[in-house]
Amino acid sequence: MSSKKIDIKVTDISKGQGILVPIEPVDEIKLPPPYDKLEELPGFKKLTQQALDKYDGYVDGVIAVGVPKPQNEEEEQKLVESFLSGLMKLFSNENNWTFLQPLVLSMEHCAKCQTCNHDCPVYEASGEEEIYRPTYRAEILRRLYFKYVKPGSPLLKKFQYGDIELNWTLISRLVELSYRCTLCRRCAQSCPIGVDNGLITHELRKLFSQEMGIAPKELHEKGTVQQLEVGSSTGMNALVVKDNIEFIDEDMSEKVGFKVETKWDVEGADVLLIHNAGEILSWPENPGAFAILCELAGIKWTLSSEAVGYDGVNYGLFYDDVQLARIVVKHAEIAKKLGVKKIVMGECGHESKVLGIIGERIIGGDVHTENALTFMENIINSGKLNLNPDRNYFPVTLHDPCNLVRIMGVVEPQRRILRKIAPKFREMHPHGVRNYCCGGGSGFAVMSGNNFADWRMHFSGKMKFKQILDAFADEDLNSNSPKYVCAPCSNCKGQIRDILDFYGAKEKSGIYYGGLVELIINAVDDLKEPFIDFDMM
Amino acid sequence: MPLFEWEEVKIMVDEDGFMENPEEWNERVALALASTEDISELTEDHWKIINYLRDYFKQYGIAPMIRKLCKETGYSLKQIYELFPSGPAKGACKVAGLAKPTGCV
Repeated sequence: MSSKKIDIKVTDISKGQGILVPIEPVDEIKLPPPYDKLEELPGFKKLTQQALDKYDGYVDGVIAVGVPKPQNEEEEQKLVESFLSGLMKLFSNENNWTFLQPLVLSMEHCAKCQTCNHDCPVYEASGEEEIYRPTYRAEILRRLYFKYVKPGSPLLKKFQYGDIELNWTLISRLVELSYRCTLCRRCAQSCPIGVDNGLITHELRKLFSQEMGIAPKELHEKGTVQQLEVGSSTGMNALVVKDNIEFIDEDMSEKVGFKVETKWDVEGADVLLIHNAGEILSWPENPGAFAILCELAGIKWTLSSEAVGYDGVNYGLFYDDVQLARIVVKHAEIAKKLGVKKIVMGECGHESKVLGIIGERIIGGDVHTENALTFMENIINSGKLNLNPDRNYFPVTLHDPCNLVRIMGVVEPQRRILRKIAPKFREMHPHGVRNYCCGGGSGFAVMSGNNFADWRMHFSGKMKFKQILDAFADEDLNSNSPKYVCAPCSNCKGQIRDILDFYGAKEKSGIYYGGLVELIINAVDDLKEPFIDFDMM
Repeated sequence: MPLFEWEEVKIMVDEDGFMENPEEWNERVALALASTEDISELTEDHWKIINYLRDYFKQYGIAPMIRKLCKETGYSLKQIYELFPSGPAKGACKVAGLAKPTGCV
């Protein structure tokens, strides 16, 4: 049942104490059989009383962040003051020189045309829930900007831009609301003026983290903080990562019949490969396939065993510029110290964006960066691999990770590869820069506390599942003969795994998922056994 | 963090039911946690997996790779799912008192 009948205004964000709009899964995005019965799906977990007592920020009956309740009025007042101080910093050159200009432009120039709304998969999946409208959250910040930051007569500004009451209710709800957008920036792409609602959400998260110390623990405490302290957001120290890679090497050697051996800390190597460390633990075939690829191509490559150097993730991108800088500087130092020619990022979208766009400028000099997709295409073009596409004779579709494709513009290399190695490759629609997010973007794939995992399935991830099913519409969805969703990004893979589990799509329709490098190695004709083993997936 | 009570066992768990203080784990705690995972009794097969996870965790401070768990205990992933319906990470690790896995896993 849809709750969209509740008429919500921007000013309602500061009003009342309870849940602003209690949401429920709706059936706005129609899925084909056997997935067309909403009532057969696992429901939406209600928040426990313990959670309700502990946290603030009731916007939709979902908790992603868990905003601690202030203990008394004095504390509450301090939080409001700290929000205001953070707001001023967002709009000051010395504190936010990197994003100030696009942020101000996005504040000043939204024409309220609402063109962006239907580009948002969350807004669509919710049956046009007002609080998920891309401009709803943006309008709250916009009114605060005009009221508190922009000079001018208060009365005139109120009349011209609309008023809003700043209080703890608004702030705590806005924290949660800034974690209901995957930062996919599909809306920014469709804006005729160039207003970036994704950026606005990002700036809000920054304010909450950098000024108020509020951030999801999966991204901060267990994410960037753990990565800087232990070496990896997964908790792997150097000893563990070496042990795991040795295990993968042995496994791969057995599989391919020749010795696969990862080398560590090779000075002057052509390539320093930095995987998202989650691959090593959860999808070992992926780093395994990279090792095989580099061996076959005769590349002088290495991994780094220095803390942070073996984990390419940088969750700072999603919520905190300071944490982002700490990690990217560390990656740059490691590459410089080893004197490698370039860093190649593993199949990870946000890592590719951070190192490829931001990191490249910090590293400077002779160290360059390359994303996995162009790196792999160059190897294939070199003719060093003996490829037989018939070894991939099963339906394959391609997911476009937002950071790599829409944001960085890496669109064709992965498609040219698939056209060469996967005879039954078909596109999703829309695709390329018009793709839909997997629903796990901006760190959501690793966030599942309270009932947020349910939200990811019913709201942010539903459009992607529909796209996957539609891509295989010419296949029998009631048969479990293998179909492969190629998702060259760890974060997207985590979300797609959860979606497929949630709908039972592997059992019902034989829908599997994995990266791109695994498909390449599966097409190598010299291997006795297929590299991809669907029974193990 | 919520308090979880089962018979005489009282432990603090996170939002997903993982132990907040893994050092408080004992065999009674394992039974208590198993009760949240649709596991009616802990058989010898369960214990083999739990003990492997505990030993690995003690040595390395995190959960092992799933592939390693399968290879070194001799159970297939399918068998692990039969024993622990939520799977190795969300089910077996929880009962073994490990902290919730972190990062892009």
